[in-house]
Amino acid sequence: MSHSLINLKIDGKQVQIAAGATILEAAEKLGIKIPTLCYLQKVSPTGACRVCVVEVAGTDKTVTACNTRVVEGLDITTQSEKLSAIRRQVVELLLVNHPLDCPVCDAGGECDLQDICYSQDVTSQPFTAEDVNAPTIDHWPLIQQVPNRCILCEKCVKICHEVIGATALLINDKGDKAFIDKDLARCEFCGNCVQVCPTGTMISKPFKFKARPWELRKTESVCTLCSAQCQVRYESKHGKVLRVTSADGVTVNDGNLCVGGFFGHGYLNSAERLTEPLVDQQPSSWEAALGRVSSDLARLRDAGGGQSLAGLASGRLTNEEGYLFQKLFRVALGSNNLDSEARFGLLPAIGILRDQLGLTAASNHLDRIGQAEAILVFGADPTAEAPAVDWQVQLAHRKRDAKLVVANLRRIKLAGQAETFLQYRPGSEALLAGALAKLIVARGRADNDYLTQFVGNRDELLDYLDSLDIDQVCAAAGIERALLEEAADHLGQAGSVAVIFGRDLMQCAGKAAAVANLANLALVSGSLHGDCGGLFPVEEKGNAFGLLDAGVCTEFLPGYQPYASGETFAKAWHATLPAGGLDAGGILAGIEQGSIRALYLAGCNPLVSFPENTRWRKALQKLDLLVVQDILASELTAMAHLVLPGAAGAEKHGSVTALDGRINRLAKAVDPPGEARPDLAILADLYAALTGKPAPSETALRNEMTELSASCSDLCQNLEQRRFCWKHPYRPASRSLRGAAPSLAAPASAALQLLVGKSLFQFGTTTTYCAATCELESAGAILVNPEDAARLGIAGDGVRLKVTGPAGMLTGPVKISGQVPPGLLFAPYNFAELNAQQVVAGGNCVAVTATKA
Amino acid sequence: MADVVFSSWGGKVVDNRQGGEPQAAVFKLPDSYLDEGRIGAFMGWDGIILYDREVDIVTMAAEYMKRVQEKYCCAKCTPGKRGTRVMMDTLGRIVAGAGEERDLDILAGLADLLEHCKCTLCMTAARPVLDSVKHFRGDYLAFIRGERQARAAKSYHDKLTAPCTDRCPAHIDIPAYVEEIKEYRFDEALDTIRRNMPIPAVCGRVCPHPCEKSCRRALVDEPISIMVLKRVPADNEWMHHRQPPMQTKAPNGKKVMVVGAGPAGLTCAYYLSLEGYQVKIIDMLSEPGGTVAVGIPDYRMPRPLLQREADIIAALGVEIEYGVMLGRDVSLQQLKEQYDSVFLGTGAFKSKPMGVEGEDQGYDGFSPGGIHYLRAVALGEPIVTPKRVIVVGGGNTAIDCVRVALREGAEESILLYRRTRKEMPAEPYEVDDAEEEGVKFIFLALPTKLITENNQVVGVEVLKMELGEPDASGRRSPQPIPGSEYIIPCDLVIPAIGQDPDLSYLQGGDYGIKQTRWNSILTHGGTMMTDNAGVFAGGDCEYGAMTVVVAVGHGRRAAPGIHRYLTQGRAYHDKEDAMEDIINGLGAFDKTEQVGLPGGLHREHQPKIHGPERTSNYEEIELAMPESQAVREAERCLRCYRVGMLAVNG
Repeated sequence: MSHSLINLKIDGKQVQIAAGATILEAAEKLGIKIPTLCYLQKVSPTGACRVCVVEVAGTDKTVTACNTRVVEGLDITTQSEKLSAIRRQVVELLLVNHPLDCPVCDAGGECDLQDICYSQDVTSQPFTAEDVNAPTIDHWPLIQQVPNRCILCEKCVKICHEVIGATALLINDKGDKAFIDKDLARCEFCGNCVQVCPTGTMISKPFKFKARPWELRKTESVCTLCSAQCQVRYESKHGKVLRVTSADGVTVNDGNLCVGGFFGHGYLNSAERLTEPLVDQQPSSWEAALGRVSSDLARLRDAGGGQSLAGLASGRLTNEEGYLFQKLFRVALGSNNLDSEARFGLLPAIGILRDQLGLTAASNHLDRIGQAEAILVFGADPTAEAPAVDWQVQLAHRKRDAKLVVANLRRIKLAGQAETFLQYRPGSEALLAGALAKLIVARGRADNDYLTQFVGNRDELLDYLDSLDIDQVCAAAGIERALLEEAADHLGQAGSVAVIFGRDLMQCAGKAAAVANLANLALVSGSLHGDCGGLFPVEEKGNAFGLLDAGVCTEFLPGYQPYASGETFAKAWHATLPAGGLDAGGILAGIEQGSIRALYLAGCNPLVSFPENTRWRKALQKLDLLVVQDILASELTAMAHLVLPGAAGAEKHGSVTALDGRINRLAKAVDPPGEARPDLAILADLYAALTGKPAPSETALRNEMTELSASCSDLCQNLEQRRFCWKHPYRPASRSLRGAAPSLAAPASAALQLLVGKSLFQFGTTTTYCAATCELESAGAILVNPEDAARLGIAGDGVRLKVTGPAGMLTGPVKISGQVPPGLLFAPYNFAELNAQQVVAGGNCVAVTATKA
Repeated sequence: MADVVFSSWGGKVVDNRQGGEPQAAVFKLPDSYLDEGRIGAFMGWDGIILYDREVDIVTMAAEYMKRVQEKYCCAKCTPGKRGTRVMMDTLGRIVAGAGEERDLDILAGLADLLEHCKCTLCMTAARPVLDSVKHFRGDYLAFIRGERQARAAKSYHDKLTAPCTDRCPAHIDIPAYVEEIKEYRFDEALDTIRRNMPIPAVCGRVCPHPCEKSCRRALVDEPISIMVLKRVPADNEWMHHRQPPMQTKAPNGKKVMVVGAGPAGLTCAYYLSLEGYQVKIIDMLSEPGGTVAVGIPDYRMPRPLLQREADIIAALGVEIEYGVMLGRDVSLQQLKEQYDSVFLGTGAFKSKPMGVEGEDQGYDGFSPGGIHYLRAVALGEPIVTPKRVIVVGGGNTAIDCVRVALREGAEESILLYRRTRKEMPAEPYEVDDAEEEGVKFIFLALPTKLITENNQVVGVEVLKMELGEPDASGRRSPQPIPGSEYIIPCDLVIPAIGQDPDLSYLQGGDYGIKQTRWNSILTHGGTMMTDNAGVFAGGDCEYGAMTVVVAVGHGRRAAPGIHRYLTQGRAYHDKEDAMEDIINGLGAFDKTEQVGLPGGLHREHQPKIHGPERTSNYEEIELAMPESQAVREAERCLRCYRVGMLAVNG
């Protein structure tokens, strides 16, 4: 399309606008408001309602402003008696047989149909027709559809297809009986159809009849259910969050939410919330509980040294809380035994990216995925792990002609949409990433300028890639060479490439080599080059990046400063940094050996989230002191000596860091339940009690962290006045990047393997306490390929299967699915009862045996 | 043709209801509908045509609006969805005797409002109703006063169409797939196309797209790029390695032989296979596609994509055997004995003679014909293209020959045509492409004699022509200029002035299959059945060398014809076919229409490889249109749907 400018006249005023713009956009530029009803900026214009009709001089017919592109010399009239009459009649037609249940309609008070009636002065009804009176659709989970209220604007259908890419909604039937129907199997229950519905047609069942919109207190914040951190508006009444919305246009997620964001907040009001401190499982005052924690910790420290204490935190903590947590351990308790769940994937991956590329988060902002010309999604299921990443892929691929290459063990949603789907075998990740890099080079499509300018060991990298044998890789990965070459061409030919990787890659058995070769691939494909595309590690845990930025791991201080050279911190903290330090594995071994006597778990539940958790379960029982600071009751809190009820993201202030280095401000929407307290307050009191210093404030902690870690720009100093700020942009120095040469081994073959990953509908274990998401998936099922099912004698869904792996055994119901290839089982890790993590060790995909239970 | 009692068709009112000297009005409508009875009236997008006074227009209008609302209204705009519903109910009330006079104002008002619909379906459906209110007001008032009862015709038959759909020989629902592309639903667009045409990758590339000649958008600015928009979803499926979703019905135990794996045969096999037939195709060539494969060069139609289309059809269970020629390897009699029905799609592979002196002498350097030359090149046969090549003709085959000759190493490739560039039947863009590649054109030249030395052609004698007065077809016919002969030296002459079917296989037995005077197979009543019951024919062998889309249209009609023949004992037109043909006869495009919309949005063009270097290979020249561009192009579509309805009286 040409980028020329078009001149036209609207209501007598001249305006100039880029070719391709619509009349509506041109009018907006002039500040002329044309009424609309079915128009939704983020989807293709529909032109259904005809409310935005305008007149064009010299032509007889009206045109709709929303979907008519400007051409040179148009003379548009937006207000006239003729237009008013059309608009009024159109709305009158919309109101034919529209139910008069506004008093109990969910949209009452925020209904676009009500508003348009007022603005167009529609006060009578000249038309009559027999009432179709279609029955309400009530059999869908979570969402109710009231066809009688529908104006068939298609916003829901279009957002479902164009933005989310689920393509579940459709228009069924003809004429006045036409209604919005759904292919339930495709629905992701993101709730965007409810959000965009201008009337009370699409209704959230959990929210229905809970509140009138004007009663709701609105708090702008971010969702911390995954590391994309969408901006949300918590809407609360009487101290309870009743719904979550997001605004179009102004938020990084453009108003879109996923099942977690829209429905997952139900855990906030769960009956299982921890509401008071427990000392030896008995309700206690905060004073007594914190007194016990600090005195016990001090006693054990004094007895066995700081090294007998350990702390595990999670991405549920804010940056300030994470910072204080590590400081509490390193300064107040003299222990560097610190870690989190990031140990099993994100942390080692970031370690490699940091070494090779100087990266500690994505190389570009999230929206740059949407601008890439080609996208590689490797070992990630963004739809489940970080839906906002999926929406960017949808945008680039569906609307902007980007080529999509998906490499995955499973036929995930994006695989079905990709140009090229590389369904590799477990263990071939590193080989495959290396082979793609090699083919890009070998086919003359490498970003040579970038390699020369930025990669210090370019020749070594090229030699290494040259040494890879493509046919061997194809054999090991089970992928045809032609397909691999096609994938390499898609990535190599594009001017900008987004490389997205996630859990399957970061947690696979050969993760170090896999991530190293992915970094090589990022270099040769030019994904680090320029403003579009980039390298994007996708992590589910909400503030995992912030937690690592804050130094909650044994090898890094805040800002990824190596622990071994922490003089600045020692000086700033007026402390000697404790020697040594254990990671999660070391902590587990330490507890088993009896050298670690106390464990402090802040938002971290190893009994479900960690691999080999049968070992953890046994080990925790040996501790002298188990402190659990969390928000929901679980098997873990039941075995803790001390339980400290903390606050969820909606219940506290602080900052959190998204996967793309966006530092977001959490705003407190409601109080934590009962006596529960923000985690910062708990940690600050402990810090004060253990050090005798005053309890640090959130701002002081943020400033201290910012200063010491130098990881974000100085804008963060005033985060209170902003919704978010950015970490320093990624600008590597010349020849500062490094290609790696990991040694590669062909994967061991196994007849049957189990992959453990994330459920589409659950986030961590947190949302398994949400009634809404549990309506979609409450217990988790083991996906089994039809061939394997036949081999195992499984007749159908629901049959229980016993799966035995290196670390343990699980039994659970089967779901027969073509999403997994023969020889691969998949189980979600989120469910405590299924507890898929108990089977795996050393990687998220392990050889198993399976029999009918 | 019956006399018109009343007509408002096209805005021109002819009213003979009051008697007097009848005003003439002639419409291309048949007298009767199938064997049901006489056509009494037609109601549709352009008004009312009434032949039979006994047809009650008010009852008919009520029925028409009911069908529009309940069967066709897509509900995708408010006036359409609700307006036609209010009109339907209002008309229903009137016909039921419960109407009021003010209802007529409501109908008229809504008809006005419907002019602002999103597309023309409901908009044009309101027009005959408005005409009826205007011109049959007395009848309406009679109903309202309770003086008249509803009186339905013997039967009504309706059909949804659009100017482009109507013009397409395969009658693809073009507005539907264009809309689906606009909505980024490429899979659905492909499903829509495949309902009428199973080789979209072919017809998205080399269809002469008659539909675009009937595109209403052209009345506003430029026609929609309908053909390329057909390629986009086909490319999308292919580029995504997506498996087509078609499922065949359970096998019905009947076997059909399709002779020829060209567009007609593939199409017929496809629809029969979906219906549950066991279909086998035989083809004399070594690959699928017929003329499309060996008559259209790969730079226009890459054969791997043609192969993919055939593979898709084979994947439905159709067996394809190559290298088997009817009449040589197997007789029609044998096929008739072995199969329940036979479809002949044997194409037109015999070049027409040029009528020049010496062409029958078997000289070296005289090609038997363009189609032979193209086939030899396509199949990699050992032919040598010399330095100077002359191709005689002005159609697509001639253009393909001159361009292929360049790719085969000719230094000079000359197209000789007896009229001017303007009269050339070839697609103008292909003529431009040929010129860009270095083809030379000599217009107004008629070859008269081959010049030879030692049995080798060394030149061709040419007579200069001038254009005379336009003939019956409107083209100015060329007239020779006496004494203007001159000789153009060359090493090879390729006549490319047309092909005839080779029906020698019919000589092997007494089949009773009649032929037309153009040496093609005669079929009957649009069912594609020949005079030999159970033997059907379609494509070039039936029509004479025509277009790929005509062949597809034949295959699509033959399949249900065969199905009806094998299940009900006779091949006949069903109501859908009949209405399709009736509306096609009436015409659904008015090129004089004042559309009344602002234009100025240019047609999108797909990217293309330019430059002389493209003559060094057979890589596809027209590249895939990016989907975002296709969406923009699709947005220009005016969705010119319209519904016609017949009233049949006994």
